[in-house]
Amino acid sequence: MAVLPLDVYEAYLRILKDPDISQPLAAIGVSTELIQASNAGTTAELVNETFEALSELKRRTPGSVSVQAGCDLFIAFMTLFPHEADTLSALKAELVTQGQKYVAEALSYRDKIAQFTLGFIKDDSVILTHSYSRVVMKALLNAHKTKRISVYVTEARPNGLGLKTYAQLIEAGIPCTVVLDSAVAYVMDKVDFVLVGSEAVVESGGLINAVGSNQMAILAQAARKPFYALAESYKFHRHFPLSQYDLPTHTPSILSFPVLSAGSSDTHDQNSGTSPEVAPGPDDGNSRARQSSQAVPEWRMTAEQISCNPEVDYTRPDLISLVFSDVGILTPEGVSQYLVGMFAG
Amino acid sequence: MTPAESANAATSHRSVDILVSKLRRRQVVGSREAALETLRVLRQVVSKARFSNIDQLVSLIKSVGRRLVEAQPKEHSVGNTVRKILHHIREEYNAASKSNGRKAIKMDLSISNFILQGQMRKQNGALKSEATITLKEDDPRDPDSFARALKPVLMEAIQDVLDELETVYDNISKMAKDHIHPDEIILTIGHSKTVEAFLKSAGHYRNYTVIVAETGPSYSGHTMAKALSAAGISTFLVPDSSIYAIMSRVTKVILGAHAILANGGMFAITGSLLAATAARVHSTPVVVCAGQFKLTPLWNLYHEFGALDFADPSSVLGFEEGNLVDKVEVLNPYYDYVGPEMVDVFITNDGDHPPSSVYRLIKETYDDEDHDL
Repeated sequence: MAVLPLDVYEAYLRILKDPDISQPLAAIGVSTELIQASNAGTTAELVNETFEALSELKRRTPGSVSVQAGCDLFIAFMTLFPHEADTLSALKAELVTQGQKYVAEALSYRDKIAQFTLGFIKDDSVILTHSYSRVVMKALLNAHKTKRISVYVTEARPNGLGLKTYAQLIEAGIPCTVVLDSAVAYVMDKVDFVLVGSEAVVESGGLINAVGSNQMAILAQAARKPFYALAESYKFHRHFPLSQYDLPTHTPSILSFPVLSAGSSDTHDQNSGTSPEVAPGPDDGNSRARQSSQAVPEWRMTAEQISCNPEVDYTRPDLISLVFSDVGILTPEGVSQYLVGMFAG
Repeated sequence: MTPAESANAATSHRSVDILVSKLRRRQVVGSREAALETLRVLRQVVSKARFSNIDQLVSLIKSVGRRLVEAQPKEHSVGNTVRKILHHIREEYNAASKSNGRKAIKMDLSISNFILQGQMRKQNGALKSEATITLKEDDPRDPDSFARALKPVLMEAIQDVLDELETVYDNISKMAKDHIHPDEIILTIGHSKTVEAFLKSAGHYRNYTVIVAETGPSYSGHTMAKALSAAGISTFLVPDSSIYAIMSRVTKVILGAHAILANGGMFAITGSLLAATAARVHSTPVVVCAGQFKLTPLWNLYHEFGALDFADPSSVLGFEEGNLVDKVEVLNPYYDYVGPEMVDVFITNDGDHPPSSVYRLIKETYDDEDHDL
């Protein structure tokens, strides 16, 4: 394995510091830098180097399907698109320009998607959204300019990004309420439609997004509410998951049961281990002081308990009404058309 | 506006004006009629137009199209025809330029185009063979030569679309005998000329029964039943309220459509949603016969209740019930929105398609930039 001219992971993190750049775009940015720094003598060497570097990046970001999408897109573009360059250096220069141009252009995709979404938002709409998504935020702020909307956002545990959405919406003057993840079914009848962002859109037309999206989609279907996913086209990923556990993000530790040693009243237990000192009663707030063998003052999940939970989940295409993308408004079946066009021979 | 364009505007104004006022006064009845009239007007516009490059022609047609669509926004076949013509124009222009050796509409090799087009494969289906040979054209130096060279090809393309429109019924009815089996019991609603032609054509080969629902308040089912029984098909006329009751005896539901939307749903005459839902409950196949000119690249129409056309409420509650008229609000929607999950197959003059591939048909028939005229 040749020595890479660039520390890909470090470059990736550096590019990701820009709050507007999403993970797949950062991957493409890394590829651009890599090609710039490359000393390859032939096209084959260049391709190999890029391939290895991006594999390394994928290895270092195991939980991220969107990084994989971005990497695959760039590799496909490099190898499958007919380039007009005559020499290797011209090819390299062209790839670098195209990569940089794309990243710059891709930031305008969110505006395009926001415009598409505007047509589906009526006055006085009540919208339910999940966690924090830049493209959903843009769409909501854009709609707020011309229509009255109000938004329910889920807390989205464990990282609580729904609160970030809440803060930004309130600041913009949009009425917003944070809803418990467990209260989505409770609120679903009041909602006009559901709008979520995405980490990746897969070949089946399904959606990979923060955990809780699948739940929301199933409930939306049961309540016969439309479920819309917003995804930029670089998030289209050529993967066909057959179940939740078929995702590349699923590791054996997720949803695993701990190994219990006999007779331990460990608070590391998966079940709500009742510490012998306090019996948990009906909870009406989460500020309950209790004595315990640990210094944790309230009923909270420990980091280890949280790590047994997934970060993303897969939503089936039949639960999704439409996917809004910069290439147009697509039915879930339409997504695979683009994927096949890009990646299939 | 260049002098050329203002001259165009003056000459083509009249035929466009006439059609605009006809549409506004709803003197053009039926989607096929509207499409044919639009096509004739566009043919006149193109033949009289003076343009020196492709963009001028496209913007001229788009402005005409916008006027026509605004005159009657509920008549979707008008907009569809304009979009189809634009698509053909671009296709012919590309084919003609290619024969020149020049790259017609320059697509630069960027990642976004890679996503949009996929790999550069030839996916041209129905390119006119005549276009590739005869054309030589200039850039805007000698203004008229471009128009002179391109016009004959465009007129041929428009004539093709016209022929396609005129033979819609024949093409759809061609496969009728494969869709209807002997001794079937078909349910239909309203009076759709497409469905009538379809059923009559099958009637030549098969013996079957048709149950026609009255379709209040227009009662167009009556004329349909008369037409079918005159053709020798055994027909029953039933009130709308019995659609669900008899559905267990029905083997197939055949409906007509007013417009097919981009997600695979459709607008059809009021009562179609009732028939489709009843069919769904009994797992009866729902077949929709519609010409391709009814494919509309619009999405969110069905969210607006007002997108359904409303007809005269006096046919529901007449003015003779003077007592009630000011105490009751009467609505008479003319169309229903039937979702894609209710329909099993669309039979068009271009073949049979399930609702899930309607988006692909629309991609092939229209260009993306024409969705908003």
